[in-house]
Amino acid sequence: MENNIIIDLKNISVSFDGEPILKDLNLYIRDKEFITFLGPSGCGKTTTLRVIAGFIEPDSGDVIFDNKRINDVPPHKRQVNTIFQRYALFPHLNVFENIAFGLRLKKAPKQEIEETVTAMLKLVNLKGFEKRNIQSLSGGQQQRVAIARALANKPRVLLLDEPLGALDLKLRKDMQNELKNIQQQMGITFIYVTHDQEEALSMSDTVVVMNNGVIQQIGTPIKIYNEPKNAFVADFIGESNIIDGIMREDFQVDFSGHRFECLDKGFAPNEKVDVVVRPEDVDVVDVDKGMVKGEVTSVTFKGVHFETIVDIGGFKWMIQSTDYHEVGKKIGLFIEPDAIHIMKKSEYSGLYGDYSSFSEEFDELSDASVDNGEEE
Amino acid sequence: MNKKKSFLSNLLAAPHILWSIIFIVVPLFVVVYYAFTNAEGDFTLENIFELKAYIPTFLLSLWYGLLSTLICFIIAYPFAYILSQFSANSQRVMMMLIMLPMWMNLLIRTYSWMLILERNGILNKVLDIFGLASENGFLNSGGAVVLGMVYNYLPYMILPIYTIMSKLDPSVVAAAQDLGGNRFDVLRRVVFPLSLPGVVSGITMVFVPSVSTFYISQKLGGGSFMLIGDAIESQFQSANNFNLGASLSLVLMVLILISMAVMNKFTDSDDTGGAIV
Ligand SMILES: Nc1ncnc2c1ncn2[C@@H]1O[C@H](COP(=O)(O)OP(=O)(O)OP(=O)(O)O)[C@@H](O)[C@H]1O
Ligand SMILES: [Mg+2]
Repeated sequence: MENNIIIDLKNISVSFDGEPILKDLNLYIRDKEFITFLGPSGCGKTTTLRVIAGFIEPDSGDVIFDNKRINDVPPHKRQVNTIFQRYALFPHLNVFENIAFGLRLKKAPKQEIEETVTAMLKLVNLKGFEKRNIQSLSGGQQQRVAIARALANKPRVLLLDEPLGALDLKLRKDMQNELKNIQQQMGITFIYVTHDQEEALSMSDTVVVMNNGVIQQIGTPIKIYNEPKNAFVADFIGESNIIDGIMREDFQVDFSGHRFECLDKGFAPNEKVDVVVRPEDVDVVDVDKGMVKGEVTSVTFKGVHFETIVDIGGFKWMIQSTDYHEVGKKIGLFIEPDAIHIMKKSEYSGLYGDYSSFSEEFDELSDASVDNGEEE
Repeated sequence: MNKKKSFLSNLLAAPHILWSIIFIVVPLFVVVYYAFTNAEGDFTLENIFELKAYIPTFLLSLWYGLLSTLICFIIAYPFAYILSQFSANSQRVMMMLIMLPMWMNLLIRTYSWMLILERNGILNKVLDIFGLASENGFLNSGGAVVLGMVYNYLPYMILPIYTIMSKLDPSVVAAAQDLGGNRFDVLRRVVFPLSLPGVVSGITMVFVPSVSTFYISQKLGGGSFMLIGDAIESQFQSANNFNLGASLSLVLMVLILISMAVMNKFTDSDDTGGAIV
């Protein structure tokens, strides 16, 4: 197991102008895995990549590559290559020369260069683009050149900084599949950065959720979704109702004025906890059959389902169901034990998971204001 | 729609076109007219034939122009490169310092150099302390003329190169490092090619005034050096031979145009743009 680890970040701290950006980060990355850093803008994802690539030397902590400390190895001597957030192609070189750049620096023989470039262009579906000018390419094509350029160097680890951020939805989905295929074909480690949770969940072997320079949770996509560690993770990954509760004893939790059975244990008796219920895990039943009851306050049609906001004792729940319930209707909710996930209280308790002021625009606005605060 | 727009832009361009006609096209015709006529106003090629005598002067001017351009480039390029990596604040301060002498009149700047370089000048006095003083001072030498050109025109080399360097996308430079380039590789394969437009305009902006200068060579060369600018000036000012002066100017202009065309060949191939001229 231990040998399997290609990169190990130990107690990494980075600050800019006295402002801490990464705070005591610990993370190991297994060889050949697809690992994704996920977090809101400004949380330190790019900074972490730059530490791995060698562009930033951490204030403290060790960067271990293949069991060797590489803190002071410059970027050009590291066996990692980066796909930058804004492709960073060389505008004065054509597609061929962009891809051949690393090989020329290594003084590879002419034939090897030609073979590799041709193979890479084939890999990223750009056959026949050798002579094209970089400026004449579309965003998606530039992206592919950037991928080919990095892979031509045969890195052990590829760092991808929001590589699909600038592409439209359809192209993004296609590229997600292609990237995943490329990763499996080449058998190398991908460290992927995104703030799109769906992308993270669908592509990765391991997801690292970050906020404010601190890792919130590391785990497989399923584990992160089903067993978020705190209110931040629960809210950032998918939709969540996060309600204050009290753990009465193992498998028994009180919230919303009702005692529920659950599958969690190991809490102190009467410990205050955060309870997560995913909107799609709630069953709507008649008022008199519900474990809890409430009144519908808004309904939005989302295509696959209706998003219904229900007021239950002053706390607004989000429920996703294929049935339509009109505003003002009284309904009952039924929640199975496996739909309930209990989290310990954290600094994020009470900040997320209430849909009382819910609207998507508002969500984005508040995100942006948090960002601005950090940048200053 | 399109037509209307082009009419509007023509209208807006009118003052500029008028200005160009009065101050560029008309004088050009006057120069050409004088170059191909004699004192009586008859057509002649004599002025052009007479230029044979000035070939050494042309060559000397070209040589000094090239030399000072080269020296300016050697100083300015590393300077601009290093400056562009400084913090934004120090960059601003340094640029101010570079621009400062440009706000002073050329005559004053050149006179100051005379005071420094002459036999009893500051330089000789300082050197005297070490017993290294030069008997005749440093004025009236080719070196003094080139020094004057470099000093006066160096900012014109630094500015365009620095402007391009400071606009270089740092992630492109990082990409070159990431792909295995050490400092020198990055400079040679990425930074330099991308800064070429700045280099070309810098070279043009230094070479053109250096080749055609007359004041610097008169004051710092002490009249012992006749550059093409001096020759032209004397035809108009003392010899009163407008026709020869005009033909000299015409040939100088053609020479400059040719060198600019050659320079622009370098940047035509890629349209990264950004040249200042
Ligand atoms: N060179 C720098 N100097 C000062 N502050 C910096 C520097 N680079 C990054 N920061 C700050 O560090 C924080 C983290 O930046 P980083 O680029 O790692 O965020 P990110 O998670 O990649 O965000 P995004 O999703 O927007 O790319 C931000 O607040 C940013 O302003
Ligand atoms: Mg980033």
